[in-house]
Amino acid sequence: MPNLKELKNRISSVKSTKKITSAMKMVAASKLRRAQELAESSRVYADSLGFILSSLAGNTKNSSDLPEILTGRENSKISLLIINSSDRGLCGGFNSNLFRNAKNWISEQQEKGKSVKIITVGKKASSFYKKTDLNVIANFDDLNSNDKQLQVSEEIKNKIMELFKNNEIDEVSILFNKFVSVITQEPTYQSLIPLSNEEADEEMTDTSNAVFEFEPDKNELLEYLVPRNFLTQIYRSVLESSASEHAARMTSMDNATRNAGDMIDGLTLTYNRTRQAFITKELIEIISGAEAV
Amino acid sequence: MINLKVVSPQKVIFEKEVEMAVLPGAEGDFAAMPNHSPFISSLRPGQMVIMSANKVDESFFVSGGLVMLKEKVCEVLVDQIESLSDVNSSNYQQSKTFQELEGNETALGTFEQVVNNPPYK
Repeated sequence: MPNLKELKNRISSVKSTKKITSAMKMVAASKLRRAQELAESSRVYADSLGFILSSLAGNTKNSSDLPEILTGRENSKISLLIINSSDRGLCGGFNSNLFRNAKNWISEQQEKGKSVKIITVGKKASSFYKKTDLNVIANFDDLNSNDKQLQVSEEIKNKIMELFKNNEIDEVSILFNKFVSVITQEPTYQSLIPLSNEEADEEMTDTSNAVFEFEPDKNELLEYLVPRNFLTQIYRSVLESSASEHAARMTSMDNATRNAGDMIDGLTLTYNRTRQAFITKELIEIISGAEAV
Repeated sequence: MINLKVVSPQKVIFEKEVEMAVLPGAEGDFAAMPNHSPFISSLRPGQMVIMSANKVDESFFVSGGLVMLKEKVCEVLVDQIESLSDVNSSNYQQSKTFQELEGNETALGTFEQVVNNPPYK
């Protein structure tokens, strides 16, 4: 028969775990709202910038006129992957999904004969890739405020511009958890160099009827636009990733709270049964004692 | 009236109908008015003003950016922007823009110039 005191202790410890997980869920929910707002309000700038860039690139019919930072280098050898993870754990499969995905991507690249360099964002990625033999060239972490997120994006942008100029990298992709809904986050790749032109194709129909004049000339504008575009795309991925992180934490903490509740119910039932069994046993002892007299 | 939309990387700063907006284009100031030909330009640091009836309604400092002008829409993508209504030559050194522009001498110089002696009054 289980010990009553032991059961009581277990119930109270599960109860306090439940309190913690439900508090974390609340915190994640309120942070999620803020992160989602940020991600949405930054979208306007990114969309307009993408539109301008695509109308510029689309206007130049001959793609060989475009700088190679837009079109990428022919027979590229070195890929850079920027991995957006979280700083903290307890967010379900958020980071492990990402790392599994990255692992596949990296081996795919290596099969193609490319070598891979990595920039990690977030403490989880930096501690994970420290243990592997991959070439991690930079870590960025503590992205706890919006200003910091922008600042880190800026630093990453400067880094990749410099690396590309020095021929240390030929391609750049970002990997982040795309925020689909509160319950689904999807590891997504986005190519920075060469510029992915999915959006450009959609917008092309729009631009065809408006022919823009450019000032200063296209090349000078591109020189300004390309780094801006990197910054915006990186910043956007950081924001998406942070919204996803809070969503993932919210769902997993919600599950944890529910599991703790189920566990408490089960334990309470056992506790009560045990208590009743004790009482019955004592009664039997008293009655049989009285009968014996 | 033309729809003026000012956005920073973080958010939409404001969006409103204006009669005319003067922007510091990379190769010279220009006015955005309805039915302007489609036009894309980068901005140099300088003063952006919203005007009506030939008078300055509102005045801003922009540290740089891009502008896309279509028939009835003027979209301004700014790096940094600060309304000059509360900023004057005595307090501009406390403003957020002043601190953020530290190290960017051209923009900072222009900011001081715009505050102390705005091209459009």
